[in-house]
Amino acid sequence: MRSEAPARGGEAAAIPPAWSRSALRWLWLGPVLLTMLVPFAWMLAVSLAPVSGGSFARALSAGLTLEHYRALFLVAPIGTYLANSALVAAAVVGLNVATAAMVGYVLGRRRVPGEKFWTLGIVATLMLPKQVLMVPLYLVMSRLHLIDTYGALILPFAVDAFSIFLVRQYVIGLPHELEEAARVDGASDWAIFRDIMLPLMKPVLAVVAIQSFLANWNSFLYPLIFVDSDRLRTLPVGLALLSQTEHSVDWGFLMAGSTLASLPVLAVFAAFQRQILSGVLAGAEK
Amino acid sequence: MTSWTLLSPWAISFALFGLFPFVFSLAASFSDYSPIHSGHTRWVGLSNYGRALTDPAFWGALGNTAFFVLGTIPFTTALALLLALAVQPAFRGRTLFRVGFFVPSVVSIVVLSLVFKGLYAPDGPLNAVLRALGLRTPAWLLDPATALPAIMAMDVWSASGYYMVIFLAGLEAIPRDLYDAARLEGATGWDCLTSITLPLLRPTLLFVLVVNTVRSLQIFAEVFVMTRGGPLHRTTTVVYYLYEEAFYRFNLGYACAVAYLLFLLTLVLAEVQLRLVGKPAEAAR
Repeated sequence: MRSEAPARGGEAAAIPPAWSRSALRWLWLGPVLLTMLVPFAWMLAVSLAPVSGGSFARALSAGLTLEHYRALFLVAPIGTYLANSALVAAAVVGLNVATAAMVGYVLGRRRVPGEKFWTLGIVATLMLPKQVLMVPLYLVMSRLHLIDTYGALILPFAVDAFSIFLVRQYVIGLPHELEEAARVDGASDWAIFRDIMLPLMKPVLAVVAIQSFLANWNSFLYPLIFVDSDRLRTLPVGLALLSQTEHSVDWGFLMAGSTLASLPVLAVFAAFQRQILSGVLAGAEK
Repeated sequence: MTSWTLLSPWAISFALFGLFPFVFSLAASFSDYSPIHSGHTRWVGLSNYGRALTDPAFWGALGNTAFFVLGTIPFTTALALLLALAVQPAFRGRTLFRVGFFVPSVVSIVVLSLVFKGLYAPDGPLNAVLRALGLRTPAWLLDPATALPAIMAMDVWSASGYYMVIFLAGLEAIPRDLYDAARLEGATGWDCLTSITLPLLRPTLLFVLVVNTVRSLQIFAEVFVMTRGGPLHRTTTVVYYLYEEAFYRFNLGYACAVAYLLFLLTLVLAEVQLRLVGKPAEAAR
């Protein structure tokens, strides 16, 4: 967002906007922003407060403690959940980037017969509400003996229609000259893909990686139904189930877990906000 | 040769995890399949669909989902559009607002739900504020009358920033010289909004409506974390009902029929929105 063309950003692009006009906007956007962020401030405050009282004032008056974070690791297998989430996210992101690069390139360059048909299939998958398939997907996974394995958390999400679509759109916009020159020089299809196209696709593959990390790190329904044993649970599922045990009103404990689950995505967002917003925009343009 | 190799991951994944389950669940929806008596599955024709359409629990879930969709989408859309219009022109600190409004969209729904469950607790911070102001303090998620609206309020809060970014994309795509020309003709800011911005934003509006409707019809994690469908089934959405039928009562055949009904409803609503708000050709671009 930060580096978008100033010419389209509004009339005040060349001259810095007047403080008075900015102040007016701050006056009414400020409270809205505060409303958006106060719940997160409460989460953090309660997670660090020694007493589980629930209110801001009580939370902040008694000093800070990491006791709740310690409890997460001592009382609950949060370390396992965290490791599972990280492992699954790494595998899904890696596979997503690899398959989106391959399939997106083929479709973007129309290098297969029936390219229209394949693209249509991908758009259809995009439109299909995922939750609708929960029962048959569960049955497929159980037939493949994948229920309660890492495979169930990774394989169905290894190829993502949205990622492929993003890469396809990007590849369509890339110039053909480099490929043609390489082909004249006798380079093989595979060499062209690996040595010429992959480096060119880096920006869109970064968007794919970030998007699929966020989606996977936060995913809930399928990890909930595909896994029964505690040692394979991912963080959102583990946290949701912990909140329905004797910890149900232990707000310090639950908010410490919530903070822990949010830190990676917030860090990724802070580092890559431009790519994340551009990923959303690319979705809107389809 | 290489091309087919490169295409194959998608073909395999689509066949195994997309097309096959989709077709298989249609077949299963005409059976009484359940892991409890998996050897004795019978074809039952349309009776799963008949059961759903005569089951008050299904209609209750459908009613809750409809209430959710109708009660959130106008507010989310209006707020998202308003915020997009507010943060589009240049001003100091614009990036802070654009990024800040989007933060709830990157955080897990489980986390958001837990935080709001804490905020909504009867002796929680929200009620502390209300009490200080001398207002009534409902039990929010524990009260059948306020539980669903409380979840809906969280949804409007968390989704607006996401759709704001989509509206921003639509706004940036409107050619600036249209505004310059209108200004020369003496048009006011309001004229520009109603006769340039809003008409040209129609494809974006359509996209936002369809995407948000499809998403809202599938609300699940919020309900699982905050209320487990209660109190008195007043927050049981269609997908939560589907989940309970499939994984608590093991009526898998019946659950497949419910899923297909939800799928049909999604298609019908998307089609209605296409007809009402815009031409499909515009939206496809």
